[in-house]
Amino acid sequence: MKTEAQILPVNPAAHAVRVEGVTFTYHGAERPALRAVSFVQSAGEMIGVMGASGAGKSTLAKCLNRIIPEFEDGDFRGAIHIAGEPLGHLRVCDVAPKVGMVFQDFESQLFSTNVAHEVAFAMEQVGMDRAEMDRRIIPALEAVGLRGFEHRDPMSLSGGEKQRLAIASVLALRPSLIVLDEPTTDLDPEGRVEVFELIARLRAQGLSLIVIEHESEELRAADRIMVLREGGIAAAGPPAEVFARTDLLMGCGVRPPGLGHALRLLGIDAHAESVEMAYQAIVRAYPRLAATSVDIVADPRAPERPAAAENASSGAAFMAIENVSFSYPGGPRVLNSIDLRVEAGDFLAIVGQNGSGKTTLAKQIVGLLQPATGRVIIEGKDRAQMRPAESAREVAYVFQNPDHQIFAATVEDEVAFGPRNFGLADDEIARRCDEALEAVGLQNERGSDPFLLSKGERQRLAVASVLVLRPRMLILDEPTTGLDHREQVRMMALVQGLNRAGIAIAIITHTPWLVAEYARRVVLLRKGAKIFDGGVREFFMQDELLRSSSFRAPEITELSRRFGTLALTTDEFVVWAKGRA
Amino acid sequence: MPIYLYIDRGTFVHRLHPTVKVFALFVMFWSVYWVDNPLALAPVGLVMLWIAQLTDSWPNFYRLRWLFAILVFTTTIAWMVFYRRGAVLVNVPIFHVSRLSLVFGVGRGIKLAELLAASVLFLSTTKIEEFTYGLQRMRVPYRVGFAISLSFRLVPLFIDSAVTIVDAQRLRGYDFNQGGPLERVRRYVPVVIPVFMGALRKANNMAMALEARGFGFSHEPTTFIEYPVKGVDIGAFAFLIALGTLNFMLYWTGLGGIGPLK
Repeated sequence: MKTEAQILPVNPAAHAVRVEGVTFTYHGAERPALRAVSFVQSAGEMIGVMGASGAGKSTLAKCLNRIIPEFEDGDFRGAIHIAGEPLGHLRVCDVAPKVGMVFQDFESQLFSTNVAHEVAFAMEQVGMDRAEMDRRIIPALEAVGLRGFEHRDPMSLSGGEKQRLAIASVLALRPSLIVLDEPTTDLDPEGRVEVFELIARLRAQGLSLIVIEHESEELRAADRIMVLREGGIAAAGPPAEVFARTDLLMGCGVRPPGLGHALRLLGIDAHAESVEMAYQAIVRAYPRLAATSVDIVADPRAPERPAAAENASSGAAFMAIENVSFSYPGGPRVLNSIDLRVEAGDFLAIVGQNGSGKTTLAKQIVGLLQPATGRVIIEGKDRAQMRPAESAREVAYVFQNPDHQIFAATVEDEVAFGPRNFGLADDEIARRCDEALEAVGLQNERGSDPFLLSKGERQRLAVASVLVLRPRMLILDEPTTGLDHREQVRMMALVQGLNRAGIAIAIITHTPWLVAEYARRVVLLRKGAKIFDGGVREFFMQDELLRSSSFRAPEITELSRRFGTLALTTDEFVVWAKGRA
Repeated sequence: MPIYLYIDRGTFVHRLHPTVKVFALFVMFWSVYWVDNPLALAPVGLVMLWIAQLTDSWPNFYRLRWLFAILVFTTTIAWMVFYRRGAVLVNVPIFHVSRLSLVFGVGRGIKLAELLAASVLFLSTTKIEEFTYGLQRMRVPYRVGFAISLSFRLVPLFIDSAVTIVDAQRLRGYDFNQGGPLERVRRYVPVVIPVFMGALRKANNMAMALEARGFGFSHEPTTFIEYPVKGVDIGAFAFLIALGTLNFMLYWTGLGGIGPLK
């Protein structure tokens, strides 16, 4: 099939990229965002770039297609060559045919009303004739698995499909290099799989790729990993080598792959790209651990969950959803006869594919939507009789994007906004603000401008601004999206602390390790129906259910199951393995 | 719920040449501009009703029904305050309720409603690419034309974002309905600021993505879709010229004003 050859660059060079001493300091910044970064990327090589937020990953990506310094004010030094040609003083649009850039926010990079036209957009801009555009559209769509979607409206596609379409539209220009800046951050597990399978196919076809990503598991197949810290390269090399440096990764705010981390903790010097490889390595080192056929549930060796919240589970339902169904006007059913009970101190994860009804369910609980049938009971009262503002003091909701609520001039004013709306006295407001800011670790930022905080800090501010109302239940919609590993851990430690203080928690998430490490109960939705409601261990044993819902257990859980047990975290597995070995 | 107004129906209006559609929008605005009398506004209104029926654009009108109602109602009321001509029919404090102010107010309300209706019909039947192409063919610079058409695409996104922000603030106990009219407007500050900040961020992301796709590479980009001029386009063009002329003549002869109703 010609397709593969057709999407390769016309003039492949030995070096896809040569970066020489690139330093960039944003206008007004005290220190450079990139510090003397130099590297050479061979044609056809895939480099994975990792690092904490602010380490310089996106700055580097933007330098590669001249968004920096063309778009961003600042001091740029150094040189970049793409396919042997210096970028010099080219404009961003002049670099477009050489470097394809795919951004995290897929909504902001689609401009057309049909898929074929979206792919043609970049070709139109560079003045390509219609016949050539016609020749390139189908191969580009075929390469990303969207053949047959030509006449679809891009807005009607799923997140994964939208991101693949964005990739197709840069592929059509046949660039020498494609840079993907956190392309799966906003996607559900199914979308992530789609995009990473596509990346693997593009790599197999010989395209030069630079992929910026937070999840190390996704980059194990890269040729090289580059870890950035404070604008400089902290480590670079083959994945086996870099991922073995667990301490360095953690110091750089990168979550080490669970399998590799487990091997390291067991004292095994091996690189595992898959669960099977890790299993074989462990069995070689500790033959006594070889799998036995064990009933996991009944197995007394199965590690227990961390102790439940001290104040948790009084047994009485704090919130109950009874037979709730809902449809948006003129649309199909989004929720279908849902029953759910949440007890004081519960910690549940609501999971399911995009469009399964997770957010709609949360909006029913907080009263932003009213059920078509059934009812929501909070503290014995029918939710329908309460205004959203009334129940805000019982159940609080933290939106996925913290920027959907921030408006005040200072952090303190932002937090005080809620209590002021309820007419609390000034001294009470001040006391509550102190308490909420302390809880989220922003007590030293009370006078700061919220818009100047990092994404992680803004997310914590959003939590503080509802926490200040002292709710008994907190619903968090994708609380870790867009955060680096360090921020994710900090955010979840905060949530766990609140839960230990007796607040019932419901997190809506697509991230398996968050469910495994923090939740005590999982509610799985599919097409508006609740198809699972039970313990985390039980959930991760439902292979068929997981597969059909495009949800995966963390690799460490899969590995532990190969040994006949079920561990939810690396530490649990290592403790179990050391105990048996 | 769809956030865009375009309804893909494949009617002859949908298939009209983009330049004709952009011209049609201009002619509708032109026609409405020249006349004030509700009766004189009727021909354009009837044409629009016919097109709405033909193109099955009613769902969009239904979605915006409250906007239309508020527009006509508030405009009529407002002009009864400011348009103080004609013999008073009923004594109401502040208001000047006369036959003349009523006709003028209703006329202004219908006028605004027709301008809105023309935009709704245009967006219901025209893709963004067609809009850009049509403007380009009318000698509007590509960058300007693209920016105009893109802004239409962005408005629904901002509305969507505003709805989410209103929800977020309501859940923090904020009551948007407190106080008088001015206070109520002021109370939207906690919505306007996040929308504005979000818009800036989105615009910045979009601008980067556009340039990264080669936007600006050529002053006259090529077009992937071919738009041949057909007989129906010429017919539609002639009809629009006639409609525009008719409305101008209504103004010219004075029949379009409210004078004859005095």
